[in-house]
Amino acid sequence: MRRAPIGLILAGFGLTAAFCVVVLLGFGFSAPQGAGVERSPDVDRWIEVARQTGAVNVVSAIYLDARLFDTLLEVLVFAVAVLGVRFYLTARGRAEPVESIPESSVVRVAANILLPLILLVGIYITVHGHISPGGGFSGGVIAGSGLLLAAIALGTDAVAARFSRRLSDRLEWGALLGILLVAAVPILFGRAPLSNLLPAGIPGRIGSGGSILLYNGLIGLKVFIGSWVIVRHFVDHRGDI
Amino acid sequence: MAGLNGVTISILLFGIGLLGVIFRRDLVVKLLALGLINSAAILCLVSLGARPDGAPPILVPPTATAIVDPLPQAIVLSAIVINFAILALALVFVMLLVERYHTTDSHRIERETAAEEEPWD
Repeated sequence: MRRAPIGLILAGFGLTAAFCVVVLLGFGFSAPQGAGVERSPDVDRWIEVARQTGAVNVVSAIYLDARLFDTLLEVLVFAVAVLGVRFYLTARGRAEPVESIPESSVVRVAANILLPLILLVGIYITVHGHISPGGGFSGGVIAGSGLLLAAIALGTDAVAARFSRRLSDRLEWGALLGILLVAAVPILFGRAPLSNLLPAGIPGRIGSGGSILLYNGLIGLKVFIGSWVIVRHFVDHRGDI
Repeated sequence: MAGLNGVTISILLFGIGLLGVIFRRDLVVKLLALGLINSAAILCLVSLGARPDGAPPILVPPTATAIVDPLPQAIVLSAIVINFAILALALVFVMLLVERYHTTDSHRIERETAAEEEPWD
């Protein structure tokens, strides 16, 4: 009985921290700008970067366009970590199932209400990665920790029953394959691989940024399912959360 | 408090983490200290790109007079993801060790592995 509330508090704390970071970054827009202050020259350089890629979030423009190669390998590192966790814990087999202690109905009802909202926030942060703080990695982790919250409140098997294991496997590796494909497709059109094929669009709109939206969505899917797979295997190995 | 900026704090955190990795005997605490070292590296890189009057590197609307350097923030993303991967895999190995030796104490695990080793001849 002692374990579950601590895990619940940890999950809530992580979510709150993630929200605080997002909100703080979001309010940073209204930075003070003095009337007669010279604009520093590097701002013009970054505005040029944002204009070329169409993504007003310059960090996104860097790691999903200019330095996309780094990000590809980073996604591969994540995939290998998920594979390693799965490999070593599947080889050990399942632990004896522990009798799970049901949470109070308040927690269960609240988790059922919160889960879709958290997933929605995760999707929002993922698809707005190029115009606001966020992106595939953070959005995927937010949605994944929403599942962790639900797994603590409702039990892992109840959450796992909502996800077809085969479908989530296919989606996970399909997302990785999709990222590599989107990166390789420009070769067919005579462009360098990893280049941004889609039009840049109007900076600030959801449709801007070319392939960045695609990459963000696929990375978000990959991270979401990957973090759930890690949680699932840890729980299976221990017997209960 | 003139010298108290992100870089000095990160050096402090790095030192605390390094001491934890070396001197604490509990494997899980060692991993937490490793996470602290990683956070220190992230803080150091991000605060190197910071400037006192800098707006976040999100150009809506593009009227900011100065923005912080977005390049370290983009690079630091790799550090975060790789730290996540290291922690997940290391926790798995700690779980396997605990299953075999029933302790997270690194000294006891070392003693027991030394006792298990067969003599050379």
